[in-house]
Amino acid sequence: MKTKVKAFGLTAAFCLIGGAASAAECIAPANPGGGWDFTCRQIGKILYDIGAVDTPVQVTNMPGAGGGLAYTTVVNERNDEENLIIAASSATTTRLAQNAYAGMTADQVRFVGAIGADPGVIVVAADSPFQTLGDMVEAIKADPGSVAFAGGSAVGGFDHMKPLMILKEGGFTDITSIKYIGVDGGADAITQTVGGFTQAMTGDMSEVVSFLANGDIRVIAVLTEDRVPGFEDIPTAKEQGYDVVAVNWRGLYVPKGISDAHFEEWAGKLQQVADSEEWAQAMADNGLAPFTLVGGQFQSYVDGLVADINAMSKELGVIQ
Amino acid sequence: MDILSNLALGFGVALSPYTLFLAVCGCFLGTIIGALPGLGPSNGVAILIPITFTLGLDATSALVLMTSVYYGAMYGGRISSILLNIPGDEPALMTTLDGYPMAKQGRAGDALVLSGVASFVGALLATIGLMLLAPSLARVAFLFGPAEYFALYLLAFCTLGGMASNNQAKAALAACMGLGIAMIGVDSSSGLPRLTGGSLHLFDGVDFLVAIVGLFAIAELFFFIESHGKGSSIGVALDKVRVPWKDIFDTKWTMLRSSGVGFVAGILPGAGASLGSFLAYMTEKSIAGPNGGFGTGVPKGVAAPEAGNNAAAGGALVPMLTLGVPGSGTTAVLLALLMTLNITPGPTLFTERPEVVWGLIASLLIANVVLLLMNVPMVKIFVKVLMVPAWILLPGVTMISFVGIFSLTGSYFDMLMMIGFGVLGYFLRKLDVPTVPVILGILLGGNMEDALRRAMILSDGDVTYLFSSPISIGLWVAAILGFVAPMFLRNVLKKPPAITD
Amino acid sequence: MASDRIFGLITLITAVAYIAAATQIQTNFFSGEFLPKLFPLLIGGVAAICSLSIIFRADPDPDWPGGPTWISMAIAVVVLAIYAVLLKPLGFIGPTIFAAGILSYQISFRPVASILSGFGLSLGLFVLFKYALGLGNIVAYRIPKEGQLWDALAILIPFVGGH
Repeated sequence: MKTKVKAFGLTAAFCLIGGAASAAECIAPANPGGGWDFTCRQIGKILYDIGAVDTPVQVTNMPGAGGGLAYTTVVNERNDEENLIIAASSATTTRLAQNAYAGMTADQVRFVGAIGADPGVIVVAADSPFQTLGDMVEAIKADPGSVAFAGGSAVGGFDHMKPLMILKEGGFTDITSIKYIGVDGGADAITQTVGGFTQAMTGDMSEVVSFLANGDIRVIAVLTEDRVPGFEDIPTAKEQGYDVVAVNWRGLYVPKGISDAHFEEWAGKLQQVADSEEWAQAMADNGLAPFTLVGGQFQSYVDGLVADINAMSKELGVIQ
Repeated sequence: MDILSNLALGFGVALSPYTLFLAVCGCFLGTIIGALPGLGPSNGVAILIPITFTLGLDATSALVLMTSVYYGAMYGGRISSILLNIPGDEPALMTTLDGYPMAKQGRAGDALVLSGVASFVGALLATIGLMLLAPSLARVAFLFGPAEYFALYLLAFCTLGGMASNNQAKAALAACMGLGIAMIGVDSSSGLPRLTGGSLHLFDGVDFLVAIVGLFAIAELFFFIESHGKGSSIGVALDKVRVPWKDIFDTKWTMLRSSGVGFVAGILPGAGASLGSFLAYMTEKSIAGPNGGFGTGVPKGVAAPEAGNNAAAGGALVPMLTLGVPGSGTTAVLLALLMTLNITPGPTLFTERPEVVWGLIASLLIANVVLLLMNVPMVKIFVKVLMVPAWILLPGVTMISFVGIFSLTGSYFDMLMMIGFGVLGYFLRKLDVPTVPVILGILLGGNMEDALRRAMILSDGDVTYLFSSPISIGLWVAAILGFVAPMFLRNVLKKPPAITD
Repeated sequence: MASDRIFGLITLITAVAYIAAATQIQTNFFSGEFLPKLFPLLIGGVAAICSLSIIFRADPDPDWPGGPTWISMAIAVVVLAIYAVLLKPLGFIGPTIFAAGILSYQISFRPVASILSGFGLSLGLFVLFKYALGLGNIVAYRIPKEGQLWDALAILIPFVGGH
């Protein structure tokens, strides 16, 4: 019986906390374990640790339609909640640009900022014949069916677009002949590639770091302007003659209906997180590159990005 | 020995009076969350993660608290399965099949204690397997491509035939219902809605929790209104709760085998705990044969799925820790927890952060032992549920189900759909159509289809790709045998009843 | 026998309708013409074969309940449906007293006990959900705005409500 009393004591303690913890909420528009979930949990934790919020941030997972469910919910039902933040990334803008959120547009929420970026990578198994990006592009030109890509995003998503952009740079235009399968996340895509079921993986640096250390895979190109600090031996696509830059930023948006003061407050808090040592450590642990853009500046970056991806998707034939 | 010193390191990190206290609280709280229909281990852990920060817990204490809540919830899930025929969450689904009949015989206490022991055995063996084999087992995931996964799911559905009492077509039809429902929603590759009839509410598909709660909890209410409690477990005179040593001893091989089956299913990232418990149950059922009495309330039918699902949960940690691929909903939550603690699982985790891995393993063992020790006292409390008069208990369970679904989605549509599933469940059970395959179909349908579609993309539509590797051929053979064998055996072992009109 | 035959016929019609719906699945250039339809068509086909098998190899009839029980169950369905649509506009406590009370009466046929169980369950569960488990979207009560109540109930009437 003693255990029971103790447990009730703790339950009671949880009750008190539960009652007070209604302050800020972060929606991760996916299941636990993915990038959006990471963003919410990390930013939420750091916000509390550095004292930017008084109570811990409650993380809600709202998976569905690749983030579309959360987006629709925020726009339609929670448009004026100033205590709400939502995790976003390049996938959010890609889908918005491709009109994949059931007619929703990017101007129906406010983008607060990005505080880190995940460089895009093209990866092959360690025993693959492809040593450079050029080898792979030539092989695809010779026989498009011979190389299948695996990636963590759905067909037409950001991961899918990376190889398409590279191939377009390489002068290959018959993109419907490129095989791509969308699996459940980057780690799964690597598993399929190391297992030999697909010939290459397209994803983000953070997804491949631990496999790289293990020697199972080879990164044949990173899609940044310059080589990534800490991974100086990985060549960029640009220096191999394919001018493609694709980074996956990690950030937040908030409902459109909140006041400018609240928007600025969130922007300030996000800047605090970006400047914190905890975040620097989290980025280093997860292979993220510094990329801080907060407030109005970020909003214009997002607008530009949406326009770019929209144009690119049309050009590649991903959308009509 | 390496492992022993590693384990000592783990316990050094994870074992202290304070963490033990947290483990006890976590197990208790988790049990309650798990026992409530609609709230499962995933919600339990997800709700509690922010609390760990409020309490200012360090990484290890947080890990211990979360793993005990997680295991507690897995334990709690079967309490409602056994007592009320309502699975608290999806891994406890198979436990209804023999657990509830046992409760109807007045053996609810035995069934609960036995399932607790079986869970302990399954989890313990899986944890040992994890310790010994994790780095090498990680390679198994590399052997499974789309074709192999498709064959694995096919195997699961082909063995379903043995579940219906006598009409295989009914089990297969039930599976088709589930698979058909799983297809509803936005198609991930085209982004266009499929089979939604234009309803926006169906764009995100049908949540299996809505189906599980409807088919079991709400259908149970209708049965109660029909029978006024005759033939149910409520109000049945209960044996005193004691440890059923004989049952435990009799089911030792069942537990061992089921742990093995569950562990293997758990290692495959696409399979998950519910498939583990299912395959364990079906394996034991076929070993016991038609005279084994599976489905009528035999101890083996309780021990098998419980050992299986806990072993699968342990097995699922292998791809999660070594590859960062979460094999089930619950490992996905643990993965989220690790990532919050700034730990990214991957092939190097075992060598670079041994204190984390072994700390996690030690916390799992702690949670298991605490649950086992709390088992008998807790069962004494929980069987009291059956003494609550039906006119309070049934409405109460129904209301809890509604709130569980409401807290999940906040939409009236899901609650109406749940009522619809309740009505469907009533008719299916009346007509002797098993409802478990419906849930399995909803759970696994999406994955099975994805596997098929990926295989078709990779092979340019060449069907022979589906059985082009030794593993997939083996699984296909097993699937066909699993489907054909019950028909054949039934004719041999039992004279078919004369078909008359 | 008749029950199974009727059941088999209903599922056969459903399966055929499902196949028909599957052939109409929209596809686009990226999903491929056929792949989104493949698996639904397979399921529909297997379901149709199973339905035929059930029709031709029907099991004996179950014991169906009598007329009054059907009415009881129909009332329960209606009560639950009303509960589902009112839970949001009216909050937790009121609708729960109503629904739990009626369900309790249907099982016990004792009015006083049922009313007490309605109140007890409503308040007890509210405390459990709100304070012990901290479920955010459970609200004690709401005063609905004019017309909101009707809008909610209208969902249940075919062709009037529904969104």
